[in-house]
Amino acid sequence: MLFDKLLPAATLTEIAAIAHKMEESNFVDDDVALVSRTQAGDTRAFDLLWQKYSPRIYSLVYNMTANHEDANDLLLEVFAKAYRSINGFRGKSSFYTWIHAIAVNMTINFVKKRGRRFQMSLDDLDSNIQNDKEFIDLTATNTPIREVDLSELQQRLNDAMMKLSVEHRAVVTMFDIQGMPHAEIAKILGIPEATVRSRLFYAHRQLQNFLEEFRKQ
Amino acid sequence: MMLDEHQVQELLRLKRFEQPPPGYFDRTLEEFHRRQRAELLRRSAAQIWFDRLVSALWSFRMPTSAYGGAFGIFVVLLTLMGTGTWGPRSDEALSASSFVRTLTRPAARLALNKDLDWSDFGQRPVISNLNLVPAIQPSDSSLPRYVLDRHPVSYEASFNF
Repeated sequence: MLFDKLLPAATLTEIAAIAHKMEESNFVDDDVALVSRTQAGDTRAFDLLWQKYSPRIYSLVYNMTANHEDANDLLLEVFAKAYRSINGFRGKSSFYTWIHAIAVNMTINFVKKRGRRFQMSLDDLDSNIQNDKEFIDLTATNTPIREVDLSELQQRLNDAMMKLSVEHRAVVTMFDIQGMPHAEIAKILGIPEATVRSRLFYAHRQLQNFLEEFRKQ
Repeated sequence: MMLDEHQVQELLRLKRFEQPPPGYFDRTLEEFHRRQRAELLRRSAAQIWFDRLVSALWSFRMPTSAYGGAFGIFVVLLTLMGTGTWGPRSDEALSASSFVRTLTRPAARLALNKDLDWSDFGQRPVISNLNLVPAIQPSDSSLPRYVLDRHPVSYEASFNF
């Protein structure tokens, strides 16, 4: 990417954080009204919250479980729990943070209970990936990724992700896949930002090792 | 060539392209509605009532200062009780004071007075020198003293072999 060459990674992260904050401020205003309406018994308002957040929550849960069926069940459970508890939501955090925290906690509990007995059930790759700039860059340069086809790449990425602990996977999912800033992840997980950074650092190191298989084969 | 950290991050971003089939979220919303309705039908009236109560309690917003005030009162009470300035009345004190009240009644005074002339009542006790009735004079200033006959029971030798 052009920006990657011009700006250091920290600056890009800051820009992403500012953009996220601007987007979030608009979201929050809407959310306050929608939550109030839901608390007053307007179920259509909760449907709007569903439409707004279900793709993000699904993505979070799916990337932590690597299984579409589990992600589907968890998505429904997360929203059912949010609906049951919405009267207790006092707005100390944003609805966005609140529902993400519910989703992360439920998924971590689920994955720990599930243990090692699981099978991957991956969603299809969007065909637009072929036009994605990052994908083109990655496959154009002299990297091992060039050698593998898309489904294999997807399988290996998910294998590597599943070798991480569920806590590390949560941080990687929110930061690298969903593009959340460190501060937001810290709020969702209820941990200091420094812990988020150290988890990310460790997880990236792990992933580099796991994906080294690209080179060996 | 090993992947560097930046390439790993770029690879991870490609996972955003893993998407559920089109229309998935609309269908899942319908499934969500169906489950909600089923849950409502399944739950008993007591459960629904309990949930409503919990919701009502959650929605009851107590001012933050009220918690501080309640805690302050608790600390003051604890201090008063700790220093002995104030404390709830014990059972012993309660029974003693009620005994004093009993003694102040005329009938009780009569029964406990050793100088009482029993002839007034038409009969005299068979053993006149045995003080079965303790001589207790109620006092306004102190708690009543308990006297067991002439000398304490513990002074008597219980067994002589």
